[in-house]
Amino acid sequence: MASETQTSTTWFGSTEEVGRLRGRVFKWTCLGATVLTLFLMLVFLLYVANDALRPLSADPSWLATMGVTVVLPVVLLAGYYYRRDRSAGEVAYTALGLPIFVALVSGGLWLLFRHIVSPQEWFVLAASILVAGGLVTAHSRVRHDAAVERLVVTVVVPLLAVVGVPTVLPSLRDLLSLSPVLPNALFSLVIAFTLPIAAVVGWRVRAVRDADRDGAIAAGITVAGGLAGVVVGPVFGVHPTSWLVFASPIVGALVLYVEHVVRNDEGVSGLAFPIVVAAGIFVGLTAAQTLGFAGPDTWLDMQFLTSSTSTTPADAGIYPALVGSVLIMIVIVLSAFPVGIGAAVYLEEYARSQGRLGTVIELIQVNISNLAGVPSIVYGVLGLAIFINLIGMGRGTAVVAGFTVGLLILPIVIISTQEAIRAVPDSRRQASYAMGATKWQTVRNVVLPESLAGIFTGTILALGRAIGETAPLLMIGVSASVRVSPDSFLSRTGAMPRQILSWSTQITTEFRYGVLAAGVVTLLVVLLTMNAAAIVLRNRTQRTQ
Amino acid sequence: MNPTETPTDRTMKRVETDGGVPMEDDQESTADAAKADGGTEKLVDVSPSHSVPDDDDDVRTRSTETAITTRDLNVYYGDEQALDGVSMDIYEHDVTALIGPSGCGKSTFLRTINRMNDMIDVCRVEGDVEFGGKNVYDDDVDPVALRRKIGMVFQAPNPFPKSIRDNVAYGLKIQGYDGDVDARVEKALKSAALWDEVKDQLDSSGLDLSGGQQQRLCIARAIAPDPEVVLMDEPTSALDPVAASKIEDLIDDLAEEYTVIIVTHNMQQAARISDRTAVFLTGGRLVEYDDTTKIFEDPEEQRVEDYITGKFG
Repeated sequence: MASETQTSTTWFGSTEEVGRLRGRVFKWTCLGATVLTLFLMLVFLLYVANDALRPLSADPSWLATMGVTVVLPVVLLAGYYYRRDRSAGEVAYTALGLPIFVALVSGGLWLLFRHIVSPQEWFVLAASILVAGGLVTAHSRVRHDAAVERLVVTVVVPLLAVVGVPTVLPSLRDLLSLSPVLPNALFSLVIAFTLPIAAVVGWRVRAVRDADRDGAIAAGITVAGGLAGVVVGPVFGVHPTSWLVFASPIVGALVLYVEHVVRNDEGVSGLAFPIVVAAGIFVGLTAAQTLGFAGPDTWLDMQFLTSSTSTTPADAGIYPALVGSVLIMIVIVLSAFPVGIGAAVYLEEYARSQGRLGTVIELIQVNISNLAGVPSIVYGVLGLAIFINLIGMGRGTAVVAGFTVGLLILPIVIISTQEAIRAVPDSRRQASYAMGATKWQTVRNVVLPESLAGIFTGTILALGRAIGETAPLLMIGVSASVRVSPDSFLSRTGAMPRQILSWSTQITTEFRYGVLAAGVVTLLVVLLTMNAAAIVLRNRTQRTQ
Repeated sequence: MNPTETPTDRTMKRVETDGGVPMEDDQESTADAAKADGGTEKLVDVSPSHSVPDDDDDVRTRSTETAITTRDLNVYYGDEQALDGVSMDIYEHDVTALIGPSGCGKSTFLRTINRMNDMIDVCRVEGDVEFGGKNVYDDDVDPVALRRKIGMVFQAPNPFPKSIRDNVAYGLKIQGYDGDVDARVEKALKSAALWDEVKDQLDSSGLDLSGGQQQRLCIARAIAPDPEVVLMDEPTSALDPVAASKIEDLIDDLAEEYTVIIVTHNMQQAARISDRTAVFLTGGRLVEYDDTTKIFEDPEEQRVEDYITGKFG
């Protein structure tokens, strides 16, 4: 008390300085590191983008036209969203990003329909799956209590429908393919591609709005968007089938998103953003063309995306490598993801932490973390040794490439899935068990639904890592330059990073700068779009929890 | 006793261990069933306009049929003993409060009843917990089936991130109930005194509710599959006083249909809502177990009196 009275004449800190110098230096050093990182990234991206797109090669009038029609409205609109309506801004970016992301996925599907599964084959496959699903559902209705029998039926019927018993019993799919009347490509896709998407969209809208009519309208819009290609496609020079493959998912996703935004009635004005961007680009290009302004002489254009590599830089393209990368991604999604997610669910939900088994599990756990850090070239050697030399699969095929790179990202998939599962609060599991749920019911109804978004985020990021891997592809003999697209998962394939590497060793300068930059930008666009989707997904789930 | 255990033996055994409390009905299981059915019907009638007969209350406080009997219950977490020789008869349609200082084994006792402790690898249980004439730790008892008969409400509200309807229907769904789910959901929400507040937003997320509403949602979820016993582990400790008093009122109503066992740190709460009170003190020992009025007005043990009056613990 006494000392307090003594010092009460001087206010705290006015006589002696509290030392903050070291703290300040530390803070500015950290800031410097951050700025340096961002700066380097930015320089790199601008450098590559400049090489690939060469915007300065365009007529200044062309740049001015595009500036007025695209950049100016976008900047004004973004400014408006930023100052007046932040939620509309969020809607705007999602509404612009969603179609781009779906277009990329559709692009992958388009490649599949073109090279691997023809539309008719897909139609037959979808029909077989539908019949099998109907049989399984019917069986579960009729024999409600026969749990074991139901399990057997659920496994066997789809197998019989799709695969059959080799050399003994042809599958339903084989029988259907022999059918003399099969719809043509366009009609097959309408039935087996557009209609399922429309059904999902309609069902979803019907569920959230609780109105049959709204669901039907949503489904109708989706189908109409897909079929519009028959009329509109020729005007733009797009084949109706291609239009269908791209438009159906894009329109479906947009219908769902617009419905979501309108229903929540928050930031509805953000929906104008993608329209403004698209209209701006369309008007700008049309105006520039009619006025005769020359656009930039870009390396990254439709020609680059649709043709195979060539000895002349101007004719070179990345198409076959793109197809190869898509095939490799599909193999990864179908192999590494189920294995990785399954392992993670076991380790998190089932594995015991006590006793001798617990020690083994812990050992496995530590090794999974270690495997995530093993250099990729080692996985290449592993893939070469196991898949090619031991099992005898073909060199440089999409399957071997997918398996090898899948092995590489397996630890990442496991770890990120484990983290997503661990993020589910234990109290929810307790609640489920206390209700008398079995382990399976708890995992199925509580743990997986809640961790699904986190699992998707982690796996998408892992997939992003996978498509950029080059070293393992070198080891397993993926072709350096491919001129013919692979027509199955078992034929020799190229891949984007491998193609980029081979361009970097060409003697012609244009290859090393222009074509290579275009390839890098293509790869980056795919990768960054995937990462952006993952991040959006993560932020959305964080907000809802 | 008799090496070949038959249901009759067990009943006789129970009579003995009940300390001479006369059994009114030999065929206990059928009586249980009848009571459960009656409970179901009564549950439909629960509405603000319907007044509960007074004698019903008397039946509840005077019930002499045990719902759960424990004998010489020892629970260990690894080398640590959490419960030490607890023998206790919990009566049907009673509100039984478990009080005691932190770490005295109240929650462990609760979680031993519905075998939630099975989840903990290091947990070991010795002794008997009899429920419905069977030791729940017998080898042929499926803990999952047991938990479907015993609902549980936790300390912090833990609704699923699903719609209110799906939350309440969860138990019905996992038990494969194929009747009118919506009717059962409505009934459970009415019993949990939540129906009027949420009837227009059954499809919105259970997490959008306030803390007190969430806890009542959890109670509705626990009673929707119509269990026989409801265990509550400090259900109001994470809630504000207004929300807590709503839950307290609710517990009183619940006891008409269910046997309620509640762990609480709040002495007043135990005194207000419970019919019988069990006092656990350090070391996992059940020190005294009697009518609530007796415990709070004239406890046998000095230690219990010290604890209740706040001199200790």
